[in-house]
Amino acid sequence: MGGIPLHVRRKVWLRQFLVQGCWNYEGMQNLGFAYSILPALRDRYEGRPEEFSRALKRHLEFFNTHPAMAAVILGAAIRLEERVAGGEADPRAIGTFKVGLMGSLGAIGDSYFWGALKPMASVAGAILTFVHPVLGIATLLILYNVAHLALRYRGFAAGMGGEESAVRFLKEEGFAGKTENRKMIAAILGGAYAGVVASHTAYWFGGAWLELGVFLVAAMAVHLITVLFRKAVSPSEVLLLLLIIGTLILWQ
Amino acid sequence: MAMQFLLVAAFGGVCYLDRTAAFQVMLHRPLVVASVVGAIFGDLAAGAQVGAVLELFYLVRLPVGASIPPDDTGAAVFGGAAAAAASSSIGLEPGNLAAILLLSVPCAEIGKVADRFVRRMNGRIADLTVDLVDRENSRAVENGLMAGITLFGVFGMMLALLFSGIGVSMARFLLPRFGPESHFQFAALLPALPLLGAASVFSCSRTERTSPVFYLTMGCVFAAIFFFRWLG
Repeated sequence: MGGIPLHVRRKVWLRQFLVQGCWNYEGMQNLGFAYSILPALRDRYEGRPEEFSRALKRHLEFFNTHPAMAAVILGAAIRLEERVAGGEADPRAIGTFKVGLMGSLGAIGDSYFWGALKPMASVAGAILTFVHPVLGIATLLILYNVAHLALRYRGFAAGMGGEESAVRFLKEEGFAGKTENRKMIAAILGGAYAGVVASHTAYWFGGAWLELGVFLVAAMAVHLITVLFRKAVSPSEVLLLLLIIGTLILWQ
Repeated sequence: MAMQFLLVAAFGGVCYLDRTAAFQVMLHRPLVVASVVGAIFGDLAAGAQVGAVLELFYLVRLPVGASIPPDDTGAAVFGGAAAAAASSSIGLEPGNLAAILLLSVPCAEIGKVADRFVRRMNGRIADLTVDLVDRENSRAVENGLMAGITLFGVFGMMLALLFSGIGVSMARFLLPRFGPESHFQFAALLPALPLLGAASVFSCSRTERTSPVFYLTMGCVFAAIFFFRWLG
């Protein structure tokens, strides 16, 4: 039996973008994962309906990871299914592999994508919007998606190389260092954004000492809000407090 | 106007799909959504002005595991529509901008409740799919996923229609009722909002190394602007 044909791989790669298509609280991405891997299962188990049905049910079990990192697991799961279909591996190895990797990849992906790359792209976009809105939008989309789409592509290819190739890929990508660097850039851009806002506000007051006072108040406000966020206060709660203050102003 | 609302509903559906169900290429970010909705209602710049501030508000709430962050896409639909409508009638001065940003908060919370509801409905779809697969119907996986995506998309369209409608109505009928004094006082709240966004970015990126860098950059940028202003 030959390898997975290119058109099937392409289909699976495209389907990974819908891995959260039926996200639910019980199985989370289970249906999305089964949907993504389905063309590969149909190819591997053609003419073997019972084995195909068992394979499909394996992938309908609970699954949850970062959506972009699912590509790595998807690729490796296809390679494992190939070995199971050829009688070279135990089907239970697939479940063990998925469960073993989804938690750690989820944590890496959340930290890298949501905790570093997205804030960096967002604040860069927000700053450049003041130059021109289209420039801001383009910056946000390009900064995020170059890394995002490249990882989906390379991760899937590495996964298709087998479990060892997937693990090697994760090591070589150096997510810890990349996350730290993106966070540093986000901190610099966030600081610049706060500096511009503080300076703009200080301009209303006039006078060097007053302007310095406004800067200190702004820095303390940022620090205070950060402490509140650490204490699990939601941004909505802070904003609702401001909305109540605003309503009281209007009431007067 | 009906055509504009239809366009917003279609665009909103795509953005809500991008938010969870499909692609995640950041089309759902407030900067993109508010700018495009603003453009649909005739003022891209006004929408972008609101979007740039909204973009950073909720970054600190990560969509990790089963936790659902506030619906900043819905807040941006509301904000973009309200900003463009205000800009073409009463003007988007600081008081109105602050009011629009603050009034977008309930939209973000309503959107979050709707998102939870859709995900619960998806649970039923997933259960049904598993039952059908047990009865050897593999097509059920594709049909189930399409049902889930359709649910996300339809809810997205409905929310976009609702929030843009509220946004335009508020800008046309509520904001003009307040006098200039109220507007001036409300404007005093405006600087707090971008600072909240900056704090959100800082919270995401905060490590031992980045903390001093954030405040140092803030001080340097402030000092540089102050210096150039002083030079005239």
